[in-house]
Amino acid sequence: MSNLKWRLIGIGGLTVLAAFLLFPRNKTVQQRGSDGVLRETVQRHVPLRYGLDLQGGMHLALEVDDSKQVVANKSEAIDRALKTVRNRIEGFGVSEPVIQKAGSDRIIVELPGIADQDRALAVVQNQAFLEFKITDETQALERVLPRLDAIIKDKKLAPATASTPGTPTPGAPKGLQGLLTSADSGKPDSSKKVAAAKTDTTSKDSLQLNAGGALSNLIQQGGMSGEYFVETANVATVDRFFTDSSVKAALPPAREVLWGTDSTVMGGRTYKSLYVVDSRPIITGEFLVDAKPNTSPLEGTIVQFKMNNVGGRRFRNETGKHVGDYMAIVLDKRVMGRPPVIQSAIGTDGQITMGGKDLAAAQDLALVLRAGALPVPLKVAEIRSIGPSLGQDSINKGMRAAIIAVALVVLVMVVYYRLSGLLAVGALAFYVLFTLATLAGFDAVLTLPGIAGFVLSIGIAVDANVLIFERIREELDRGKTVRTAIDEGFKHAMPAIIDSNVSTILTAAVLYQYGTGPVKGFAVTLIAGIVASLISAIFIVRTFYLLWLQRTRGTQTLSI
Amino acid sequence: MLRILHGTHYDFIKWWKHMAILTAIWIAIGLVLFFARGRGFNYSIEFTGGTLMQAQFAKATTDDEVRGALTQAGFPHAEIQQFGSPVDYTVRARPEEQGTTVAAGDSTSKQIERALKAHFGDTNVRIVRTEFVGPRVGEELRRNALIAILISFGVTLIYLAIRFEWRFGVAAVVATAHDILTTLAFIMMLHLEISLTVVAAILTVIGYSLNDTIIIFDRVRENLKKQRKESLRDVMNRSINETLPRSIMTHATTLAATLALLLFAGEVIRPFSWVMAFGIFTGTFSSIYVATALLLYIEQRWPRRSGESKGTARALAEDRRQGRADKMATR
Repeated sequence: MSNLKWRLIGIGGLTVLAAFLLFPRNKTVQQRGSDGVLRETVQRHVPLRYGLDLQGGMHLALEVDDSKQVVANKSEAIDRALKTVRNRIEGFGVSEPVIQKAGSDRIIVELPGIADQDRALAVVQNQAFLEFKITDETQALERVLPRLDAIIKDKKLAPATASTPGTPTPGAPKGLQGLLTSADSGKPDSSKKVAAAKTDTTSKDSLQLNAGGALSNLIQQGGMSGEYFVETANVATVDRFFTDSSVKAALPPAREVLWGTDSTVMGGRTYKSLYVVDSRPIITGEFLVDAKPNTSPLEGTIVQFKMNNVGGRRFRNETGKHVGDYMAIVLDKRVMGRPPVIQSAIGTDGQITMGGKDLAAAQDLALVLRAGALPVPLKVAEIRSIGPSLGQDSINKGMRAAIIAVALVVLVMVVYYRLSGLLAVGALAFYVLFTLATLAGFDAVLTLPGIAGFVLSIGIAVDANVLIFERIREELDRGKTVRTAIDEGFKHAMPAIIDSNVSTILTAAVLYQYGTGPVKGFAVTLIAGIVASLISAIFIVRTFYLLWLQRTRGTQTLSI
Repeated sequence: MLRILHGTHYDFIKWWKHMAILTAIWIAIGLVLFFARGRGFNYSIEFTGGTLMQAQFAKATTDDEVRGALTQAGFPHAEIQQFGSPVDYTVRARPEEQGTTVAAGDSTSKQIERALKAHFGDTNVRIVRTEFVGPRVGEELRRNALIAILISFGVTLIYLAIRFEWRFGVAAVVATAHDILTTLAFIMMLHLEISLTVVAAILTVIGYSLNDTIIIFDRVRENLKKQRKESLRDVMNRSINETLPRSIMTHATTLAATLALLLFAGEVIRPFSWVMAFGIFTGTFSSIYVATALLLYIEQRWPRRSGESKGTARALAEDRRQGRADKMATR
């Protein structure tokens, strides 16, 4: 009697605990509105977390990119990079992001609900190393071009047929020249940049480049000192030339060659800009204290930044020395926009023009500048990106499968075991409640394989009941009374239930340890399911029987 | 009381040789397919590295149409597959495929997206899923999956050695290995893609099969303790027969759940469901014909010393008395 009372109290306690764990609660979420302002909103929902494959979002694995520079201590570099990435993501405005170190040399970033993959990638991956460099005015590149051409010829770096069909540039330098001038006069207002370029081309003759070499054929002088244009189709070839070690060695000293972010359209062809700049920066982004996006009627979207006093002083000094020169704003080894002329000494405030990019791009650039530069460049090792519609579809289908599975299992159990089957089904309801509560309690993530594991575990959950019921039947066959048969049935079924479930839990634990992402979710659901099924099948069904026996005192038959 | 297969006395062990041949043929077919297909298994990009995209089109399209769009962008070897419905397609590019605008710094996924949008129109294509896996990650995952399976073997062996006896453990692990082989053969036959989820399904099959084996072994253990004059072989047969209703019932409920997954849970989880559906069969089969038959063989081949287990020794003596040992131990 008192035994029964304690059992009921136990079940009641577990149910209350489960209900508490699953009770919807408030959560403050930071989200960026369409106008780009971060807002805190309070959401109220059941504390069950959907995995990225269900709610949509992006999973990223980042590694140290050591293709360009050797990184001595990757693990330490990753630790420092982690901090920067975290700062950036926090400013990006994603609800419940995950940013963690995995292994010794990888960062895992999970961004739920992110639809724009490229933007998120850029924010996370941009090294955001900001430098200000003066463009070359000594025509250093022109002077070494013949030598570079010779090296390229010697090393046979150029494709066998340098004049790839479809690109008229090589071998037809004169034509290209004409093209540039005609484009300039033909489309004077094609863009502000080309207009600016025009004024300069008139003053400086750019046509002395065409010596006929593999490299010089592809390069064309741009509108300002140190600026060159390369047709988009040839960018890869030129880039390959400049990354060659002997070419690098032959480049003018204290100069470096950098690609620009902008491209220019002239005469129907797209050109990418290439800059030769002083390799020593006049200042770097380390003194930057603030950056914010803005729009200006003249320059479109811009990012305005502010330096601290030390930086401001140095900036003022340096720019004072270079009045009239062009200053390239270099972000991650790429020249942002077109280098502006330094009109007069600049102090603590400056700005970066974003070219044709939209406000979101300016917001993101401001964000990464504020959060600071990454200590090492990162490269993407893995991306998994799921659109929200696919996630919702998965949830719907998973739920439908779950409901049908439950219905089928209930049908089989009730038809075969009658009243006892009904008791097992009652216990199954507790099973579902406990499993979900366990998942919520451990803050586990529900993934699509997780739902599959859950559906599967409903089928397997009744196994313990089946074992017990079959045992009870055997005991009844031997002519035992109902009460004894139930006791013996539970007792004898126990070793098989324990052994089989422990071995499954062990397998699931191994999966959890060595699985990643969705598979981990699967393992967690499986373990939670097994534990819950043991409680419901053994403890709760037993209690149901005790209740039933008490109400039908001295019964001689059992519906099983 | 509704009862199925109650109080049966089938001689399961008698058929072990036929079943062994049957399952060997099954595995052999898998092996032949493995070599005939050249590349072996159809690994998902999680293991091979590369880019996978799932695109949803506004109206039904064809493989050729999608291929045409991709060939232009420089992906003539991309694998294109219809995914569940005529408007859903997956495109998979191997890591070595670069595309034509890679120089401009475009990622493979960006190029594919652009190529599809250029061909079908901006608003008629929606990219609903993108996966990119670098080559190193794929290699790591493959290694981890293998480690997971081997460790789960080791853990099971140790657990069974403790709870039962090493002979039971070995028989159960061999039966499990059999399940993996038949399941892999099944995967080969349906040309299913091996993804992490499928590896999870294989591990679940292992768990389920072990479950089944352990429940029969538990009966064997219990029946051996009873003071009956019965040969080991008869004990095994009796144990299988006694647990038969349970096997059928659990089989039915689990299969019901699996079928629900297979039919209603959608395309993403379908390979998982197929593997599970087959695994339930092979798990039940191997518990009876591989694990139990093997246990009988091991017990006869490496008999226990006297005093180690009275029940088994008695049953083995009974075996010898009935002259059945030879039948089983013939190689």
